[in-house]
Amino acid sequence: MTAEERKLYVKIKATEQMKQLMTDYYIGAKTAEGTDQPICWITSGGPVEFLIAMDVIPVYPENHGAMCGASRMSVELAEVAEKMGFSRDVCSYARGDIGSAITHGGPIGGLPKPDFLLACNNICGTVFKWYQELARYFDVPLFLMDTPFIHKEKTEHAADYVRKQCLELVSFLEEQTGKEFSDERFAEVALLSVEAVDLWKEVLETAEHKPSPFTCFDAFIHMAPIVTLRGTQEVVDYYELLRDEMLQRIEDGVSAVPEEKYRLIWDNIPIWYEMRNLGNLFASNNACLVADTYTSAWAVDIKIDEPLTSMADAYMKVYLNISIDIMIDQLLSLIERFEADGLVMHSNRSCKPYSLGQYDLARMVTEKTGKPVLIIEADMTDSRVYSEAQVRERVEAFIESLG
Amino acid sequence: MADALARLMELRDDPFRWARDWKERTRGKVLGFFCGYVPEEIIHAAGALPVRITGENRVTSKSGAHLQSYCCSLARTSLDMALTGDLDFLDGTVFVHTCDTMQRLSDIWRLNAGFPFHIDFVLPVRFEGVAALEYMRLELANFRKKVEENIGPVTDAALSESIKLYNRNRELLAELYSLRREDPGIMPSDQALWLVASSALIEKSEHNALLEKVLEGLGGPSGQSDGKVRLFAAGSVMDQYDFLKMVEEVGGTIVDDDFCTGRRYFDAQAPTDGDPLEAIAKRLTGRGSCPCKYLPSRDRADRLLDRIEKSGARGAIFFQFKYCEPHAFDYPYTKKEMNERGIPSLNLEIEHDSVSVEQLRTRVEALLETVRGD
Repeated sequence: MTAEERKLYVKIKATEQMKQLMTDYYIGAKTAEGTDQPICWITSGGPVEFLIAMDVIPVYPENHGAMCGASRMSVELAEVAEKMGFSRDVCSYARGDIGSAITHGGPIGGLPKPDFLLACNNICGTVFKWYQELARYFDVPLFLMDTPFIHKEKTEHAADYVRKQCLELVSFLEEQTGKEFSDERFAEVALLSVEAVDLWKEVLETAEHKPSPFTCFDAFIHMAPIVTLRGTQEVVDYYELLRDEMLQRIEDGVSAVPEEKYRLIWDNIPIWYEMRNLGNLFASNNACLVADTYTSAWAVDIKIDEPLTSMADAYMKVYLNISIDIMIDQLLSLIERFEADGLVMHSNRSCKPYSLGQYDLARMVTEKTGKPVLIIEADMTDSRVYSEAQVRERVEAFIESLG
Repeated sequence: MADALARLMELRDDPFRWARDWKERTRGKVLGFFCGYVPEEIIHAAGALPVRITGENRVTSKSGAHLQSYCCSLARTSLDMALTGDLDFLDGTVFVHTCDTMQRLSDIWRLNAGFPFHIDFVLPVRFEGVAALEYMRLELANFRKKVEENIGPVTDAALSESIKLYNRNRELLAELYSLRREDPGIMPSDQALWLVASSALIEKSEHNALLEKVLEGLGGPSGQSDGKVRLFAAGSVMDQYDFLKMVEEVGGTIVDDDFCTGRRYFDAQAPTDGDPLEAIAKRLTGRGSCPCKYLPSRDRADRLLDRIEKSGARGAIFFQFKYCEPHAFDYPYTKKEMNERGIPSLNLEIEHDSVSVEQLRTRVEALLETVRGD
């Protein structure tokens, strides 16, 4: 980091604890390989609470994909999968993950081998195909949690189907682990999960303050525990710490971007390999990305008195499992709540459910709010399709247009 | 036969002509659909005409404002057809939950294409297990309700009649495939695949009548099969007839396939006793699966490999649309297994706006040389 960049970036103190939490988690997961404690690879939108309640170690290829992307190692891993015949048009998380499974490459030397797999298609159909390939490669069983897409309204029979699959998942886990599922233990885990989710919401909400103590680039880094470890006490403790630090910043008048002039919303998965540069680019133009549609996906509502039913419903209603006309309401609400001046959309070649429809959403946002929208064409981890110069030029022109 | 075949082949140049004429003649409703999992029988029983849209070879002019360039050309060209008014004979459209692209195309279509009605049929992705099958039955009932709301009543009696008619169609198409497997020279691949595709463009009883006449004339032996290299082809939609003609020209012939506009369209029958919705559900789960569907008891790619071996084909062509993830994901595993079984194959990527058959010719020739051991 250059001295000039350092001025643009106010370091979050809790980052050290977050890094420690994630390091401990990955060391724990890696040392569990080959022991009696089962390991399950799970998708980012999957119902991890069931795994925690059964003492199964959850491992997240998507989080690992983000790490590989941020450390700019995704391309070499993706190339391994491409040599096997995977098209370059296939999701880059999946390509990188398959490459890493084979070579044990990446910043942490690959993920520990799974004993079984849990994919939930509430984020995309891609995860089903990806996990099917993992099931072939590792020769382990796959449980697919199938959450019917909500086009206009959620149907009762679809909700019932998801609830019944939660029970099927319990049987699957009992069979895989040889242990009995405990409703009490599950309720405890669900409670911790709700607490963590509520704290995460509070953290994100601190960015409503003007100027914002927090940017979505911070959220992208600090989301790791809520994705991977919700349902545990450590995560609750961690988000209390982070929330308090953000509240303290507000009290002390510290803002994430020192001279916040413009407030923007981010849409889609981060461009992991370019995150620091992009953060600096926006900050040096006095623009703060105050909220995003991505990290709020883990801020779902779960009712404590009916953990299983409300969890099934919550997992169905995530941002990527709803139609454009429901997404637009959520986008407009973010723009209003965070008093944003515009929207930045990452048109992500690797993620069709997130990206197809953005052109229509962009038009709707401008029609309904008069606010401008910038669309950046890129990929979340495949940097070969990214043009730094072009993006810089477009971002600068966009911010200039905000006046 | 010649007359019946000619009538069906004529449609290839103007696939929606029959539907437009039918609508003018009967004032009935025409429902567009994309996916082979649409329970056409229910639409037919309501008195409407289901018509399949599979994109077309064209350079798009209007869909680029809605879909990124990394979206498959099936979606891009189909949307373009709708936005430019080429599908103005449609009263409504049905979307089935299959891949991520079709899921979003449904939203974009509903908000922009402007047809009087729009139905989403949200099939499960899991096709096995008590909860999934129960959900499928309820979603089929929901689909029937939506058809009734938008078109007209669907009685059990009418539905049973439609199922019989559709079963007969599937039986005839299956017979065509088995005749061609014995003696592929009786009809070139491009015509055989068009006979399947045209079935989703005209009313079924008329298609049945024409197919019966075509089959009556196909006794064989053709004397044309010796020396032809028997191939299997797999993919989603096959609508590139010039490509198929070229395969025949260079000495190959497709004896069986896994296209959703081919074998998968007529695979498996619906039982004719019991509840008609139950019968449709049984057929949907019993037919060859699309890569978007999950049948945990046996991997789809393994099922496909079994089919390739059973077909007696000596080589295979994977014919994929660029940006089609579900098929692209299954390719490396299937390819590896085929290598182990000693079946040579070729992987082709196509986009509707830039098809060049000549560029593919040498690659197909190379495959045939490998098969022949030249």
